[in-house]
Amino acid sequence: MKFQGFLFLLSLFFSSQAYASTFDVTILSLKSEDQQQKGKTFAGITVEPHRPVRRAVELALFESTILFDTLDIDSSLQQIELDPNTDIRSQLAGISQSSLVILDLPLALMEQVAKLTHELNLVAFNVRHSNAYLRESLCMDTFFHAIPSDNMYFDALGQFLIYRGWRKVLLIRGPSERDAERAETLFNSLKKFGANIVDQRVFTLSHNPDDRDKNKPEFLTGGVSYDVVAVIDSQKDYGRYLQYSTRSARPVVGDVGLTPRNWHFGLERYGAPQLNERYRSFKKNHLLSPQVSMTDAEFAAWSAVKLITNSINSRTDREDLSPSSVLIDPASQVDLYKGTRGSIRQWNHQLRQPILLATQDAVIAIAPMPKFLHPKHYVDTLGVDAPASACQLR
Amino acid sequence: MRFTGFGATHVIASSVVWQARTLTFACALLFIAQHTPATAGTVVISNERSGDLVFMDESGKTNDIVPLCKRPRGMAQHKSMGLLYIACSDDGQVIEFDISSKHTRRIFPNLPGAMSLAIHEQSNRIIVSNEGAATATVLNIESGEVLASLPTGHEPDGVALTVDGSKIFVASENAGIVHVFDGITYEPVKRLVTNLRPRRIAIRNEELWVSSEMGSRVEIFDIISYEKIDELIFAPRGFRSEQLTPVDILFDQAQSTAFVALGSANHVVIVDAVKRKILKYILVGRRPWGLALTPDGKELFVLNGLSDDVTIIDTQSRRPIRTSRTGLVPHSIEILK
Repeated sequence: MKFQGFLFLLSLFFSSQAYASTFDVTILSLKSEDQQQKGKTFAGITVEPHRPVRRAVELALFESTILFDTLDIDSSLQQIELDPNTDIRSQLAGISQSSLVILDLPLALMEQVAKLTHELNLVAFNVRHSNAYLRESLCMDTFFHAIPSDNMYFDALGQFLIYRGWRKVLLIRGPSERDAERAETLFNSLKKFGANIVDQRVFTLSHNPDDRDKNKPEFLTGGVSYDVVAVIDSQKDYGRYLQYSTRSARPVVGDVGLTPRNWHFGLERYGAPQLNERYRSFKKNHLLSPQVSMTDAEFAAWSAVKLITNSINSRTDREDLSPSSVLIDPASQVDLYKGTRGSIRQWNHQLRQPILLATQDAVIAIAPMPKFLHPKHYVDTLGVDAPASACQLR
Repeated sequence: MRFTGFGATHVIASSVVWQARTLTFACALLFIAQHTPATAGTVVISNERSGDLVFMDESGKTNDIVPLCKRPRGMAQHKSMGLLYIACSDDGQVIEFDISSKHTRRIFPNLPGAMSLAIHEQSNRIIVSNEGAATATVLNIESGEVLASLPTGHEPDGVALTVDGSKIFVASENAGIVHVFDGITYEPVKRLVTNLRPRRIAIRNEELWVSSEMGSRVEIFDIISYEKIDELIFAPRGFRSEQLTPVDILFDQAQSTAFVALGSANHVVIVDAVKRKILKYILVGRRPWGLALTPDGKELFVLNGLSDDVTIIDTQSRRPIRTSRTGLVPHSIEILK
């Protein structure tokens, strides 16, 4: 009690976040977001499962049960479904200052809510969007990113291609703005590691015979020599038809074929099978079938919560679980079940972590690849490094 | 009819060939088994992926391979009875293995994800951590009776007992806790909060050494007060802190020197256990985990899990002498005393 009182005075003195012997998590999601439509192509086929991140957050809290019991910490989880048609700020009013806020929101709304949580001095985590601008230009000290950035994903892919000696790359992308943006990021990653981009081509979604150079895989991938085809297709409309249809018999990587991932059901090492099994079975009245595992967004949400709960083990201060003090402490580390622990990059608040390179059913490699070395952090060859970042929070 | 007849003949012929091959193979095994009795100094390695035990001599020469079970991992020797206990993780069993006849004597079932073992010969007990069930099981190895099921955090790995058997320690990788239980009543006594992913536990006098795989250190606790006394941080040349993932800890006979396998950093470190000072880093194979010393303490065997080999180190000169092949994904090593 005395100790708590002292910390309370201390927190008043620094007028910072309140001392937490409790750990509160708040998930912000969009009311009536159509989960069914996410991940669907124009043809109506679901190519990517999308699930709310809540189950992964519950798993992270479930894993902390014994530790919380040992140290007498209470935890709570609330979910607020935001109604975009009424004032958002007023819907955030009830969130405790010491709560960790997980943003499970579509891009535009996430940006809006991130700004509001910043004004309210709430620590919020992006667990869904890899867009570079959220890190580099939005750049707010209360806004953290547990999902890897496009730069991290594509640096991992770039390292893999160089490691395999597949230096001649044919880059194919879709016509959307997002595809153009991601293709540029991939281009820069490949250039950085020394790949040779033999051509860049844009596919179209049409059946017009006049457009066959742009809509038929055999034509789209012909007339040039390459080791590998890298495809950017954010909507997953076209890319999935490229494998086995390229003009030359070459592997396909990027958004199809070998893809950079945050998490995968097929990871066999580092305790990953145990984590995957727990994810499926920890809710006794809602079991999931084998091969179902966390999506990249779910894994990011799990990582965000674990970053706080693991700080009990990695920091010397085991009492203070307020997200603001945990996340700015470089000693805070998280066991990610990927062989290398994760931590927050102090300059742009991105969670540094290894990236898996996987096919649909197997993890082929884990980046950083051998011989890609960084002077300070093993995984900092992936993503925007401190000197290159436009965001310099600390 | 002719076709059927032909087919049948063909099947018979091929089965004869198969039997002949099996027979030759069995004879070969028998031959090896007869000529290489397992004695002191014999090296036994459990291989997770190939599901077998590799027997070597002290020079690293393989003289027998015994297929065993699904995913054999932790092992413990019952020295006075000449028995070896082996955790078969994917079978959820512990096997009691007769070292001289190289046969399974008994199976202890219902141990989901059996991982690490500790033995207390005096009281005829073994402790098994069950990775799949968040428990550790205490078994009487004479009667096979389950004496206790100790609740732990998720993914229990390392287990240890004090010399007098009065305290049991189990590390939970996921919870970041070493659970302490009374060795007589089996009541939980204490939970020691460790750094990230505690893996293996080694006892030296009244010190408890715990490797923290994701915390990249070895933490040292007092067994009586349960206070943390000290920690060892490693820094072999050319590796970043987060690549240091220590797992096995081993003391020499005198308990004055400690050896720690550094996992992803591909090194073994020799530590002055009294001064808690790092003496030397030795480059070995990929992801070293398991460690064992020869009875005379002159050679250290280091299992390299990702390069499927074992590095033999001369503990006097502190240099690697040679590398030998193991089975696939070698996990644990015991050198018969």
